[in-house]
Amino acid sequence: MSFLKEQLWLRRLLALAALALAWELLSRQGVLDPFYAPPPSEVMRVLITLFTEGRIFSHLEATFAASLAGLIIGLVLGIVLGFAAALVPLISELLEPVMMLLNAIPRVILAPLFVIWLGIELPSKIALSVVLVAVLVFFAVYSGIKDVDHTLVDRVRTLGGGRMVLLREVYIPSVTAWVLGSLKVAVGFAFTGAVVGEFVAATRGLGYLLQFAQSTYNAALTMGLIFLIMAFVLILFVGAEAIEHRLLRWRYRGYNQKAS
Amino acid sequence: MLRVFDLVLGYDQEPVVEGVSLDVSAGKFVSLVGPSGSGKTSVLRAINGLLIPRSGRIELNGGQESLGFLFQDDALLPWRTARDNAALGLRIRKMSKSSALLEADAWLNRLGLEGFGGRYPHELSGGQRKRVAIAQILALKPKLLLMDEPFASLDAIVRTRLTQELLAWVEREHLSVLLVTHDLEEALSVSDTVYLLSQGPRARIRNSYPVAIPRPRDIFAARKHPSFTPLLEQLWQDMFDEVGAPKIEAMK
Repeated sequence: MSFLKEQLWLRRLLALAALALAWELLSRQGVLDPFYAPPPSEVMRVLITLFTEGRIFSHLEATFAASLAGLIIGLVLGIVLGFAAALVPLISELLEPVMMLLNAIPRVILAPLFVIWLGIELPSKIALSVVLVAVLVFFAVYSGIKDVDHTLVDRVRTLGGGRMVLLREVYIPSVTAWVLGSLKVAVGFAFTGAVVGEFVAATRGLGYLLQFAQSTYNAALTMGLIFLIMAFVLILFVGAEAIEHRLLRWRYRGYNQKAS
Repeated sequence: MLRVFDLVLGYDQEPVVEGVSLDVSAGKFVSLVGPSGSGKTSVLRAINGLLIPRSGRIELNGGQESLGFLFQDDALLPWRTARDNAALGLRIRKMSKSSALLEADAWLNRLGLEGFGGRYPHELSGGQRKRVAIAQILALKPKLLLMDEPFASLDAIVRTRLTQELLAWVEREHLSVLLVTHDLEEALSVSDTVYLLSQGPRARIRNSYPVAIPRPRDIFAARKHPSFTPLLEQLWQDMFDEVGAPKIEAMK
């Protein structure tokens, strides 16, 4: 019992298993209508069939390709524009209102426009992912530079450091912390862009499959795909967190070693 | 070592300080005291090149490279270890990485931080962080130390110990110091001259007070010197006159 008290992940797993069991029993007893809420065993069966028959792989490939490309391009674009806006006032004057507007609106409304401009294949999905990620990263970089600790800037300047030293020793590490802090959210955004883009118009991808499942009222497939997307985002989320911990190890290392 | 003539500083319309002149001779310890907001820190920032004066002149033997600035905050890079922070100034001055780190280790050891070089600032106590900041500055072998209430955030024991250690170092190495502080007793116990800045804005030097206590000094023994209490009372009285507080006699 004490082991259970100490292991948070085990308690969560047990709670999830209890919920799934209750759902399964209620569905089998007819309390829940299987048309709307099929039992977990049926959802699993549909998912396993998708994998064993190999039909899911081309969809997975499409969604992953769009998400990954969107994440990488969005990160690079957000970092470059964030640095440019923070360091060049003219660029900031032009860019900040546009980014503010893009940040304020639900950016997924751009999906139909990207389909018109770029077609229903991969590029329109990548474009939506890029916009979602780039705006997020832009503000992380922009704020990271604007809110940099000015005492550190003064410290480096009084030691004789110029612009390059400031960039290397203060601005880049400070911005890295901000960008990595938003990396987990960016991963979710990249996936959102790809799936929503596929949902609007596509020939393959998890979003396309979701749209198909919804149009055929296939609740088991819909739920299976939702769980699959959640599982993949969770894996990427854990990966992003590992990268954050590795690159920001100075932030996470021992708080219990202080001496007086 | 340092001469400041008719310095005028300001951030907006009205000057913060107006016509400040002071002198720090080689090997002398000088303090600048004054009411809060009188512009003491601004004077240090102007000497260090962080603030451009509206007018006036700053003459500094040896140029900016001869200066070492100890901030009120630790101002250590949180993403660098104590060793890397201590070596930062040397690296900026183009010393090779291995030599700079060796030199940094030597300074950390000298300041009682042996074995702490691999720790990040958040893994150190306030006093240890301050020692790293001192190592960073002393490693550059400055001729003039500018100190902006460097130990104000520390508890009384650590603060007293660090002040005494730094004073001993300054006397042994014949460094010149310009210390900004609001602690009048501390200023008198360590300084050869204390300048009192008037209430701002448009603050100016109200008076200077030579402190004739022999060196080397112990900050506790200095407070028992016959000239200490009369000087302290005079300084307090002048400070009270500036901020409009009651006379010392009335408070006794």
